[in-house]
Amino acid sequence: MTSRRVLILAGILLIFFLGMYTWNQRTRTLDDIAANIGLELAGAALAPLRSVQDAVTGFWRRYFDIVNAREENERLKADLRNMESRFQAVGEDLAELKRLRELIDLPKYTSLRPVGARVLAGRMGPNAVLDSITINRGYVTGARPGTPLVTHNGLVGRVLRASPHTSTVLLLTDQNSRIAVFSQTSRAFGILAGRGPGQNLEVNFVQRDANIKQDEVLLTSGLDKKYPKGIPVARVTSVAPSDYTQFMAVEAEPMVDLRHLEEVALLTSADVARPPEAPDHGPIRPAGQPAPQAAPTP
Amino acid sequence: MNSARNLCWWVLFISAAVALQAFVPGLDVLVAGLLILLQERDYKNMFWLLPLFISIQEGMGTRFFGGTVVWYAMVIVLFKLGQWLFEVESFIFVFLLSACLAVPCYTIDWLMAPLQNLTFNIQETLDKSLVQALFLPVAWRVLSMTRQWIRTDNDVEK
Repeated sequence: MTSRRVLILAGILLIFFLGMYTWNQRTRTLDDIAANIGLELAGAALAPLRSVQDAVTGFWRRYFDIVNAREENERLKADLRNMESRFQAVGEDLAELKRLRELIDLPKYTSLRPVGARVLAGRMGPNAVLDSITINRGYVTGARPGTPLVTHNGLVGRVLRASPHTSTVLLLTDQNSRIAVFSQTSRAFGILAGRGPGQNLEVNFVQRDANIKQDEVLLTSGLDKKYPKGIPVARVTSVAPSDYTQFMAVEAEPMVDLRHLEEVALLTSADVARPPEAPDHGPIRPAGQPAPQAAPTP
Repeated sequence: MNSARNLCWWVLFISAAVALQAFVPGLDVLVAGLLILLQERDYKNMFWLLPLFISIQEGMGTRFFGGTVVWYAMVIVLFKLGQWLFEVESFIFVFLLSACLAVPCYTIDWLMAPLQNLTFNIQETLDKSLVQALFLPVAWRVLSMTRQWIRTDNDVEK
């Protein structure tokens, strides 16, 4: 009788749990509550710890910085001269690009605003099964779920879950991450898939006739509506025809060193802004044809 | 037991647990606190600490809500079963309990992955279960020693 009662109780608890799980999967109510309490508390506990760690490592680094300052200064001056000459060469191309964009009315991503964030920790707790990091920005401070994260080298991932001042970011190396990309030179499209921490990335669905080459940079295509177009994501490490599918087997490595992240930038408010409307000159007419007369107003 | 000291101890424990979890991915440090609560039969503090532990673990996690609830429920059930056979404050009991907990630790990840359509990594989950099993007795030992700090003379006499 007792074992029967235990079985009935276990059954009721299982049904209750599955009901709660299904309800939460649809509404995300419990996830939001847990993020607002748990993630916020974890962020509050980690922020002072990270500050102390930064202070100690910063002091140590500054000592070595002073030692190496002269050599680094000379190297940076050389780099600056090199960059200035490259900037002058690229300046004319940029001006031409701007003119052409205005001419054909292409959309441009003018409203992307980078917001700096500090990495607090990597994956935390038994429930953190995805390859992720925790940052010190939440939905109050610009990190809404879905917001892309970058460094000066390229894409890092996107915000998965956010509390008011802390959030969890899904890295592009996670096995469940998928990003629509294209190659910078050959313009071959594909889907970049993660294969786990420390592993190379995989580019799926690249056509066999694509002229994609090793060392080519992969950029976000924006076709997945998750990331704005043109962010560098990865560099191609190997290209070969696949033995199992009708596509190419392409491998790539992330542009960003995801194991040693300290600061990142959130690209907030990723809306597409169109350039100002050009004055309406009417429909395009063959050369020499006169413009139609405006209809008389009554 | 001095309640102010006790509260301070739990605040310090939670802060240290979160910090340690930041350095060891996948590790659950808070479960050692749950074990302390069960051993001391401190159900009054468990009433607010257990939901807090669940909120912290679920909030830091990347799965849908539910995995930690099952995990802590398994810890309580196995503790209550072991209570009939062993002295709960002995190291052997904690060691055996922690070895047994490696099984639900692995099984919960295996069961939860398809529910959320996630890829299940066998090697990573095995490593995580093993680290958790080895960590718990050590953490329990350290925490038990620090608990003496908040015990008053009356508690010792009892």
